[in-house]
Amino acid sequence: MNKIATICPYCGCGCGLYLHVENNTIVGVSPVRNHLVNKGSLCVKSWNCFEFVHHPDRLKYPLIKEKNGAFRRASWDEALRLVAARLLEIRKSSGPDSISIVSSAKSTNEENYVMMKFARAVIGTNNIDHCARLCHSSTVGGLADSFGSGAMTNSINEIVHAKLLFVIGSNTTEQHPMIGMHMLDAVDRGAVLIVADPRKTQIAGLAQFHLRHRPGTDVALLNGIMNVIIDDRLVDIPFVKRRTEKFDSFRALITKYPPEAVERITGVSAQDIKKVARLYATEKKAMLFYSMGITQHTTGVDNVCACANLTMLTGHIGLPMTGLNPLRGQNNVQGACDMGALPNVYSGYQEIRDPKSRKKFEMAWKVKLPRDPGLTLMEMFNGVLKGDTKALYIMGENPAVSNPDVTHTVNALKKLDFLVVQDIFLSDTAEYAHVVLPAATFAEKDGTFTNTERRVQKISAAIEPVGESKPDWEIICALSREMGYDLNYRATHEIMEEIALLTPIYRGILHHRLEGDSGLQWPCPSATHPGTPFLHRKKFAKGFGTFMPVDYVPPAEMPDSEFPFILTTGRTCFHYHTRTMSRRTSTLERECPECLIEINPSDADSLQIKHMNVVRVSSRRGVLTGRVYITENTPGGVVFMPFHFGEAPVNMLTNPALDPSAKIPEYKVCAVRIELIK
Amino acid sequence: MKKNLIMDKNYLSYWLRQIRKTMSLIAPMRLKNADIVFKQVDNIHEIELDCPASLPSPKEFLLPQKEYMFRFSKNSVDVLKDCTKRLIFGVRSCDISAIDLMDRFFGEKFVDEYYMSRRENTVFISIVCNNPDPTCFCIGLGTGPFLKSNFDIQLTDLGDRYLVETGSKQGADLIRGYSHLFSRPKKSDYDDQYEVILSSQSKFEKRISLENTRQKILNEKINDLFWDWIARRCFECGGCVYACPVCTCFNVVDRMEQEGDGYRFRIWDACMFKGFTRMAGNVWPAEKKGSRIKQRYFHKLLYYPDHFGRFGCVGCGRCTITCPGHVDMATIAHRIDVGDRRRR
Repeated sequence: MNKIATICPYCGCGCGLYLHVENNTIVGVSPVRNHLVNKGSLCVKSWNCFEFVHHPDRLKYPLIKEKNGAFRRASWDEALRLVAARLLEIRKSSGPDSISIVSSAKSTNEENYVMMKFARAVIGTNNIDHCARLCHSSTVGGLADSFGSGAMTNSINEIVHAKLLFVIGSNTTEQHPMIGMHMLDAVDRGAVLIVADPRKTQIAGLAQFHLRHRPGTDVALLNGIMNVIIDDRLVDIPFVKRRTEKFDSFRALITKYPPEAVERITGVSAQDIKKVARLYATEKKAMLFYSMGITQHTTGVDNVCACANLTMLTGHIGLPMTGLNPLRGQNNVQGACDMGALPNVYSGYQEIRDPKSRKKFEMAWKVKLPRDPGLTLMEMFNGVLKGDTKALYIMGENPAVSNPDVTHTVNALKKLDFLVVQDIFLSDTAEYAHVVLPAATFAEKDGTFTNTERRVQKISAAIEPVGESKPDWEIICALSREMGYDLNYRATHEIMEEIALLTPIYRGILHHRLEGDSGLQWPCPSATHPGTPFLHRKKFAKGFGTFMPVDYVPPAEMPDSEFPFILTTGRTCFHYHTRTMSRRTSTLERECPECLIEINPSDADSLQIKHMNVVRVSSRRGVLTGRVYITENTPGGVVFMPFHFGEAPVNMLTNPALDPSAKIPEYKVCAVRIELIK
Repeated sequence: MKKNLIMDKNYLSYWLRQIRKTMSLIAPMRLKNADIVFKQVDNIHEIELDCPASLPSPKEFLLPQKEYMFRFSKNSVDVLKDCTKRLIFGVRSCDISAIDLMDRFFGEKFVDEYYMSRRENTVFISIVCNNPDPTCFCIGLGTGPFLKSNFDIQLTDLGDRYLVETGSKQGADLIRGYSHLFSRPKKSDYDDQYEVILSSQSKFEKRISLENTRQKILNEKINDLFWDWIARRCFECGGCVYACPVCTCFNVVDRMEQEGDGYRFRIWDACMFKGFTRMAGNVWPAEKKGSRIKQRYFHKLLYYPDHFGRFGCVGCGRCTITCPGHVDMATIAHRIDVGDRRRR
């Protein structure tokens, strides 16, 4: 038996684990003990992360859809030739911007870089985006405005030394379990834990203060806290004076949010707001964490800016054990953003509008590059229905379950002239594809993942690719050669070299520096630089930190007499996103085989619903049925549903209303009606 | 059968190299990141004996996390029993004690052939442990740091030589034909072994009495609130069960590849999961996390002694290492024992 050290393919924690290999088959997994993140522990998904690799459903060869709608097996040659010919044809007839690319937060940095290069240099479009649009685009946008860099500012290892942890909109122990572990360690050492979440999650149960604000009232809550801090003269005046700008207009706005008024909006008592404000402001080592509860709103950017304002107001940034820490969802969503799989930036957040960076990439890639930012994820699907987008290339994503208002997305997928899906399984999205290309999983390829704390870590192939599947980067390179652009790399470390050359924040990150170690945290500007554990030391990335005055705006859709409940969505600890991997893992699927609709006992009583009854949930966009799980953990007037299940696609109900600047949809709040099916 | 010999340390690599010609050699190895894992040995000089406990335990060689059982088609079955000959070298006493329990479990009444096939082809060389980790507590259980019986071969490090104790026929087979490597022990060798054991016993930081804990559970009613309070910190990762060298639970899964063709495998399961005891009609007999934790500890501390006369815990400390919420055997047993059942 051999043991190959690699990184878990599930969440953004980036835990180290060993894959146990016997006869080219993975037979087990175990945690890396000397890993900075997981320290010998793993969550249930990680402990079972190998089973889907050998599942019989794996795509083992390319598929082409026949006229009768059935897939047939094809050779790589035939499939790639068909994809190349169709993409070239559509580019010729409708222009490069009629093609859009969806990259993947599950794929490695190298693959995202190659995909980004393929979109821009080979197709000639900036229409490239990925699922970060649906989780943390508001972080990337909001923190770029406030600080100049949209990433977790501090490190996971600092958590245990912190004295106060303020967690807002994150179910940390279930969704980032190993970060939750560090938080528990800090609490054991006497740290104060404050959790703001409408639901009573596990971590909320361990908190000294649990603020149960109404869904979508985060800005009001944070503004109320800052109002108390300003009133009580707890502002870090030297920090605000030396390092920030636009404080005065911000202060004027905050006076509108006395705690008593905030209590009426949020439902959190003024007393608690005052206590929490005083605790957070007076404790030097105070870390602020947030996740989807902040970002997935039409006011996502506002929420993020409010968090940023709070850290600047108290000077809790630019030092160890402080900072603003967005917890990224996917194993490599940070990396996919870093690699420029976004419509407006190249790798390392170099603006495509900036002629200097464009010129640099044009010289390196020896091709003229498009000048205008491309379409975001939701705009791509809207573009299909408008007739502007003709072809879509989707790598390792499943928008037919994950997009809001999926009926709309499925209509778009059906309408496309040409859809290529590159995945490890025949996902719900792949069913609509014209060509399906089989990709290799994390266990079958080399490369790097970047975790939520900007730590770039090496993954290593444990087994040969299953069937005829290939790593994503090899597929893209072969396709681009078919299309007449010679994307040619012999191995992933060659791609990393090119990334380092063109990306200042990754300049010192090379594969040989990552072997047998816990990786490097960007920015890493030179080959001898040890990496950066915390950002914005002495100076913000953009110079001065900017106070962005943000007003409370209610969610786009509020309950009314027709749809009296707020539906909020999220995940469970046993499944991952659209379940393509976790449903093919026996233990995980057994634990959580169906979508359960969580509802408060008082609401269940008034609707005369009993535990495990089947109900119909409807919104203005769709209807679905499911069983009810009655629990105190969900507040009154709110129902919670996980979005994992294609069988009960909660995103048929969700509101596709977007944040005006980040274009993130409002997954966390929409209005629904519940009826018992008799 | 029991035979004691002395071997010069310099001969160890020669001896192992010879044995490796007839079977697969597995031993603790230090990886680049300083982790200790049991894996196939490429270079005998890289074997680490002076090291912390491995994670996971060597249980994975007898009951792998995922084990293919058979392939089937419409009219045939192909049984996939593992018959690889293995020598697992450098195992700790606690792990050997755990394997003894697993032998009893899998060999009692219904004989598990998959386990037995691996077990009969595996021979262990254990080592008297002279560097217990801060998490170890085998000393209170009699499962370590050295064994009096139930081993194949036990080595004691006496500085420049090993005291080699043979305790089984498989062990004796490993020695046969290599008499030129061994000499007869002198009285001073036994004195030295005694010193090693004393020194080891003095190094234990944790003193946990599972017997006291058992008595407390039997004689004082432990309120369910205690278990619920413990459960607040449980992440439901299953790590305590997966890492435990004594736990044997598995689930059986069939996967169809094509019409009529497929395979069956078993995979580690855990009583800490709600679905482990799920019944038809969405009924979970142990729906609360606290009741599952209680069941697990009752099994290890009450039902195991009733059935096997020994605790279902060998004090290896792996649950202490792997539990993200720090609600492991040592912590829980200690809390029950000293009566610290306060809510914090």
